[in-house]
Amino acid sequence: MLKISLRSLLSHKLRLALTTLAVILGVSFVAGTFILTDTINATFTSIFSAANAGVAVTVHGHQLAGQESSIGGSSNQPVPTSLLTTVRSVPGVKNAVGSIFRNGATLIGGDGKPIGGNGPPSFGANWIADPEISPYRLRSGTAPRQPGDVVVDAGTAAKHNLAVGQSIPIVFAGGAEEHFTITGIAGFGNSDNLAGATITLFTEATAERVLEGKDKYDSILVSAQPGVTDITLRDRIAAAAPSYEAATGQAAAAAAEQSTEATISTFIGTPLLVFAFISLFVGSFLIINTFNILVAQRTRELALLRALGATRAQVMRSVLVEAGVTGFIASILGFGAGILIASGLISLFGSTSTGGLTLLPRTFIIAVLVGTVVTVLAATLPARRATRIAPVAALAEAQPETQELPRRRVIAGSVILALGCAGLVAGLFAGTGSTLQLVGVGFLGVFLGVALLAPLLVRPIATVLGWPVRRLRGAPGLLAGENARRNPRRTALTASALMIGLALVTCVAVLTDSVRTSTNNAIAGAFRADFIVFNQGPSFNTEAADTLRRDPKLTDITEVRTTRVLIKGTSQDIAAIDPSNLNSVLALTMLGGDAPAIASSNTAIVDSSSATSSNLHVGDVVTFVFPEGATVPIHVGGIYKTNALVTGYLVSLATMQPNVPTARDNLVLANAAPGITQPQAEAALNHDVSAYPLLLAKSRDQYRAFVGASLDSFLNLITTLLAFAIIIAVLGIANTLALSVLERTRELGLLRALGMTRAQTRTMVRWESVIISLIGAVLGLVVGTGLGVVVTSALHDLGIDTISIPGGNLILYAVAAGVFGVLAAIIPTIRAARVDILRAITTE
Amino acid sequence: MTAGPAAPTAGASTEPQVSAARTADAVKVYGRGDASVRALDGITVSFARGQFTAIMGPSGSGKSTLLHCVAGLDRLTSGEVYIGDVELGGLGDRQLTLLRRVKVGFIFQSFNLVPTLSAEDNIVLPLTIAGRKPNPEALAEVVRITGLGDRLRHRPSELSGGQQQRVAAARALASQPEIIFADEPTGNLDSRSSNELLDFLSRAVLTMGQTIVMVTHDPLAAAHADRIIFLADGRVVDEMGAPTADRVLNVMRHLGD
Repeated sequence: MLKISLRSLLSHKLRLALTTLAVILGVSFVAGTFILTDTINATFTSIFSAANAGVAVTVHGHQLAGQESSIGGSSNQPVPTSLLTTVRSVPGVKNAVGSIFRNGATLIGGDGKPIGGNGPPSFGANWIADPEISPYRLRSGTAPRQPGDVVVDAGTAAKHNLAVGQSIPIVFAGGAEEHFTITGIAGFGNSDNLAGATITLFTEATAERVLEGKDKYDSILVSAQPGVTDITLRDRIAAAAPSYEAATGQAAAAAAEQSTEATISTFIGTPLLVFAFISLFVGSFLIINTFNILVAQRTRELALLRALGATRAQVMRSVLVEAGVTGFIASILGFGAGILIASGLISLFGSTSTGGLTLLPRTFIIAVLVGTVVTVLAATLPARRATRIAPVAALAEAQPETQELPRRRVIAGSVILALGCAGLVAGLFAGTGSTLQLVGVGFLGVFLGVALLAPLLVRPIATVLGWPVRRLRGAPGLLAGENARRNPRRTALTASALMIGLALVTCVAVLTDSVRTSTNNAIAGAFRADFIVFNQGPSFNTEAADTLRRDPKLTDITEVRTTRVLIKGTSQDIAAIDPSNLNSVLALTMLGGDAPAIASSNTAIVDSSSATSSNLHVGDVVTFVFPEGATVPIHVGGIYKTNALVTGYLVSLATMQPNVPTARDNLVLANAAPGITQPQAEAALNHDVSAYPLLLAKSRDQYRAFVGASLDSFLNLITTLLAFAIIIAVLGIANTLALSVLERTRELGLLRALGMTRAQTRTMVRWESVIISLIGAVLGLVVGTGLGVVVTSALHDLGIDTISIPGGNLILYAVAAGVFGVLAAIIPTIRAARVDILRAITTE
Repeated sequence: MTAGPAAPTAGASTEPQVSAARTADAVKVYGRGDASVRALDGITVSFARGQFTAIMGPSGSGKSTLLHCVAGLDRLTSGEVYIGDVELGGLGDRQLTLLRRVKVGFIFQSFNLVPTLSAEDNIVLPLTIAGRKPNPEALAEVVRITGLGDRLRHRPSELSGGQQQRVAAARALASQPEIIFADEPTGNLDSRSSNELLDFLSRAVLTMGQTIVMVTHDPLAAAHADRIIFLADGRVVDEMGAPTADRVLNVMRHLGD
């Protein structure tokens, strides 16, 4: 039997080509994700170990309360510079140096725009001279000696053509430009830079000033005298500086690696794997269809095998072995394609410092397992059908092609659809805490249920869609419609694959459009200020606000500062504002208490959704734990309706400021001064803000458009990630058509004999493809809109109170689906037109 | 592109046509060199208008090849083949297709019908393909004589083999072509259905003046024809007018060996 499977595989290799391609795409996505994250992790590992190579012990403060770890940056409290003397006096210490290393030193390129844009962080640090401890290795030039000297990392220097001796503007924490002279180019250990992030190195005094670390280090790095182990030294230092944390260099590197890996997995690995899973899910539809068609075409052959004494199990195995071998080969090719994808993405991210891709055996095993298992599982249904072929079928005439949908399937489809909907509703509205999992299962259930029931919908939809085609295209149009209807299960499965991708895109489109509409409304009602100044990156220093305050054309300059605090063990954002301008810049609708209450010290007002989820009432007291550890009881003075600009707890600047180390603004709001027209005020504002290259100044309308644009890029990102799934679905249509064309060779020959031209034959196949695509589009748009509406209504508490369906997008998707249909038909039409009439009509 | 099918009208006025189709020294060679087979070895035949001609001969005699070549489904290696007075050798695929659509009707042994279309849609299919409207009276007449009136809405899978062949015959007649080619039309039918179909074809020749060329190996079927052409080894070896089954059987017995 194995021989028969393999023979069958070889004779079907063309028919399996597209299936193989689908598996390759799905697997390459999985493998690419793993290779990408492994490579990034490995890059960081090498960076961290390089950074800590000569470091026996690092000393830093306790972890900041409520701060999630961040890549590269410090989430620990700084230590006073005086600690350096203490550490140096510990026996066994060879040398100890202070390290300042902070995000927020942005190089400004020749075009006046920040280098790196809003991409990777830009770190500033002090040059560390001791070569044993320092991770920085001069490649050319000299270390920074003067206050105006800077050393830049080799990666950034190469990418932006920076050279020693050049003068370059640098912006710190969103402030004004300062000019520095590049005195040297340095690597980070053996790497060119920190995985794509820029590093600028200054003298210690300059670093203290520009990075706002007066008398503070982020950590102290210690080297050991010969014969003193890292652990011994760590214990001695810990004893000498009991209120700080000491870790061996290795432990520090490991901890940094661990937190980086977690961050990468959360923000890159997991989301990509979700989309990889979607691609494989869609691919499995294609696999099912292919094997269904192959089994149908081999009915007589399989029946003959059964008549000759093959057991059902043997027949089943023969199909599954064929699937398994196909899946295995495709998986190996998919792993190769994954390497290409990962290297493409890595070069896209602009990281030039890596020592090649990280290919772990684990990735290969997962890729092969996933691809093979998915293929075999998907082929199980067709294989079961193969076992039901009675031996007598070898003798009987071919079965009519249209079958009734079995009741069992209708029931199963309905139940799965209902469970999917239930999961979705439970996940979105019940607040069980496992929202994402339930929503994922819900989507899966909805897609499976609709796919199972889709054969019932194929005929009516195809009839409606076929009508204009028949009108426009005559006989080829008529036949195209009939062909799309003739095997509803095959058409349904093919169209469902496209449905999934389109439904997800549509769902996200509805969601973003609703968010856009809601925020448009909400932004209009959220604040009264004429202008808003902000930074897309981290918060910025108060220079900008001070400049605006000096401008006579502007008034009501109001800073909004946010920080994270721990409340009842979970970290939450709080915002602080000057209460005196509250009503002239913000538009808060109070549901209880009143807004000016925050003028009293240690009083907050809370937005309604936080109040509901934390069960807070006016008059309650909650405890804030500020990052540096200060514990402050806060009185709830009021509850405001969810606002588009500020969320969570809102306190006065006076309440927040004593508890945070530096004053950093997240937003600055401003009004035109009395007697000044909007355009005059806007011109003044733009002029003022132009001194701060990282800051954006927007009028209310501009801000609304800006928020809309960022929603568009979110939608584009999701659409791009779903492109794999959609490409696979289009391959599925091409696959179904190609197999159908093969199956209908005689019919095509007959039509050609009866006077159908090649062009008409192509038209017929092309329109069948378009109709199948459009069935997928109809299902996808309907299901996607439904999902979008449900998901959006779950966000009502977050202020997304308007459900908006983007008609333009939906039309665009339908048109795109039609185009996909035309594209998918290219090869099948060529094959159909090439059918040899004589061969087709002569019976053997 | 319409020049081909339109030409015969012009030709007919100058030189009266008696043949619906004819060949002159038709040669068809399959393969090359030593492996080559002369399926047609210089055949010159003419199929008269309004006549029911049967082509007979043992397997490999070239009868199907002759039919395919005359019908414009296959091309000659050398020689000429005319439908009306259009020489097919000079036509491209598209012109041949358009000619078949208008001038030629087909009835094959099996798989004559498009499974997705109703009997009625199948009957008018060549007209639909050509973008023409069926002539309602002609259609009604065809339906009446084929006795398919109550079966028009059925799909092929819901029809018996005999009914399917009658639908195919109705389709061939409905477009009132110059000539109908039938390739073993009774090959898959029982004797009663065979007789019904052949009676129907004979009637079409008699009452509608249709020209039919039929390939068959069944003497009983051939006996319905006005004239029989016998082929062997790619040549015309005999002819018979007003045939009967016994006489046909006699000739065939000689050809067999």
